Amino acid sequence: MRIEEHPILGKPEERKKVTFTYDGKQLEGYEGEPIAAALKAAGVMVHRHTKKGSPRGIFCAIGSCTDCVMVVDGKPNIRTCVTPLVEGMQVQTQNGCK
Amino acid sequence: MKRYELIVIGAGPAGLSAAIEAAKAGMEVIVFDENARPGGQLFKQIHKFFGSKEHRAKVRGFKIGEDLLKEAKEAGVTVQLNATVVGLYPEKEVNVRIGNEIKHVKGDAVIIATGASEAVVNFPGWTLPGVIGAGAAQTMMNLHHVQPGKKVLMLGSGNVGLVVSYQLLQAGCEVVALVDAAPKIGGYGVHAAKVSRCGVPFYLSHTIKQVEGTDFVTGVTIAEVDSSFKFIPGTEKHFDVDTVCLAVGLNPMSQLAEMAQCQMEDNPKKAGFVPAADEHGRTSVEGIYVAGDVSGIEEASSAMIEGRIAGISVARDFEYVNEVEFAEKVKGFETALGSLRQGMFAPGNRGKKIEKTEEGIDISTNLLKKGYLEDEVFHFPGVKKIKGLHPVIECTQNIPCNPCQDACPKGCIKIGEKITSLPDVDENSQCVGCGMCVASCSGQAIFLVNEDVGDGMGTVTMPYEFLPLPEKGEKGKALSRKGEEICEAEVVDIRLAQAFDYTNLLTIKVPAEFVMNARFYKAI
Amino acid sequence: MEKLQDRFADIGEFIPQEDDDVIVCRCEEITKGEIRKAVHEGIFTISEMRRYLRNGMGLCQGQTCGKMVKGIMAGELGIRPVDLTPATARAPMRPMEMKILANDRNEE
Repeated sequence: MRIEEHPILGKPEERKKVTFTYDGKQLEGYEGEPIAAALKAAGVMVHRHTKKGSPRGIFCAIGSCTDCVMVVDGKPNIRTCVTPLVEGMQVQTQNGCK
Repeated sequence: MKRYELIVIGAGPAGLSAAIEAAKAGMEVIVFDENARPGGQLFKQIHKFFGSKEHRAKVRGFKIGEDLLKEAKEAGVTVQLNATVVGLYPEKEVNVRIGNEIKHVKGDAVIIATGASEAVVNFPGWTLPGVIGAGAAQTMMNLHHVQPGKKVLMLGSGNVGLVVSYQLLQAGCEVVALVDAAPKIGGYGVHAAKVSRCGVPFYLSHTIKQVEGTDFVTGVTIAEVDSSFKFIPGTEKHFDVDTVCLAVGLNPMSQLAEMAQCQMEDNPKKAGFVPAADEHGRTSVEGIYVAGDVSGIEEASSAMIEGRIAGISVARDFEYVNEVEFAEKVKGFETALGSLRQGMFAPGNRGKKIEKTEEGIDISTNLLKKGYLEDEVFHFPGVKKIKGLHPVIECTQNIPCNPCQDACPKGCIKIGEKITSLPDVDENSQCVGCGMCVASCSGQAIFLVNEDVGDGMGTVTMPYEFLPLPEKGEKGKALSRKGEEICEAEVVDIRLAQAFDYTNLLTIKVPAEFVMNARFYKAI
Repeated sequence: MEKLQDRFADIGEFIPQEDDDVIVCRCEEITKGEIRKAVHEGIFTISEMRRYLRNGMGLCQGQTCGKMVKGIMAGELGIRPVDLTPATARAPMRPMEMKILANDRNEE
């Protein structure tokens, strides 16, 4: 869920809304925010499955653990927590290494 | 190969501070940072820092970050973001990845200020989506304005676990428990107290047995551990949660120093495997310096001063600053750093059992084991029964911090020269109720109490940093230090002021016998 | 000088433990039991363990599991983590694609 007004940080600054797809489904997010943030706001927990089929999602959120990687615009292993969202991006759950 | 006079690796508090000092002395400085934003962890810190005025006490972390960036810009420091340093050699050659290229650059000097990364612990279910680092929670809430989850269990009671738990509450999340395998709370008592009074229970000597869920976290089971950290059968407790936060320690990211063949040491007082360095940040390799958490885990305040020391040392070693100027500047920095490394939580005291304050008062074991003070609160100099309106300061551990002293226009609060001293409230206090002390206390440990406002009622003014703000006249419940409802409360005032910097002042009216126990408010 | 570990130390038999199934290396899905067993199979150093089991060789290149693996191996060997023969720290310090390493530019 998005924090519309924070007791210390107030309201987030004006940002441009963009649409993107997640496993074919259309979702909304803000331009420039990490893909993972837009997915979190939309309630998505599972970003990928490992080779052995285990579900993984956000862990470190800072680009270091690589658990949140997904297939973005056809490219696998993209760290969604540090990759900025762009209009029209196609994000897919990654299974295994591709 | 492009040559720079000084290459700083890391644009966090230490790196930026080092770059500023060196640039001010006239050096050509470039800072490489792998992130898209500068400031390291500083911009995620929405709480007020401790220390004294020179340490930027009572200023929120992200504001200190903004000021640091401004100073860096004015000093002519170049900060290159999205620049990952992937190699560092003893000859001070730096391999940095920028975009899709590797660039080789050389520095006359290099300062490694790469900070630390979060430690992890494992348990069944720890790889499920929903188990995240405490830093991840901070990043999501404070940088990206997204809640990490709705119901959270926090593992770890060091300052990170305590502070992030409070921030989760501020972000509107529910913190169901704060758990630590250790028998006592690792971070500041005041941070724990802030969280306890909101009703978050502490479970010390407990740790996570397992996390459940199929595709993501749906619950967690904790259990008590004995002195060898083995689970005690029959002590399991279950919580329905969607998020488990790990705040189990920080490890210096010292691999670049290792690669550059700096002599390393495993130092428990520095909390890890760090490059051996002298007091000015010089490593065993000539021209390579370190500053900040990479040289030993401390606070951001210490990192900034260490950065300044390293920066000015490089400037002196490369003759941009003469001996006299260097000695004067470094002395100032060392004194400031020294004053932070005092008190109960000083790096030198790591691992020591401290039973009495510097004043000889017994440290509250309730605060250490349960996260809240009980009747022993009356033993402390900040807590006195005084007629009329007066401050009550529930600051019971020696931490270098004194903004409350400067805040009071009537001189009611005294700490003195030694900033680790516990604040003392003057019995003859002429309190006018301005509330500046309440708002200035970074630990939110100060309350204004009036034991008798007539009709058998009293008032308590407390710091309040949550939304929605209560409204004047509304009725609710007062909570004790433990977070339990103890009596009815009526909101008589809610004050916002720029000088309070978002630490709003909430005044409630309660039956007089509860004024020394009512420490939080909940609307019904 | 590199620390030399005693390769002939008798560390006893492998005794299965309750938490052997818990994952240690998240990227390559290596469990605690697998690491402990490997020590008893003669893998006494961090470098060798990486090559044997592939822990620390996944996408994050050991950023997450590094310290934990050190602790588990040291525990099994009965030594302090700092006394384990350290793995050589070498570039690149962060995982990257080969094509980027090929884009090596010397800035003049």
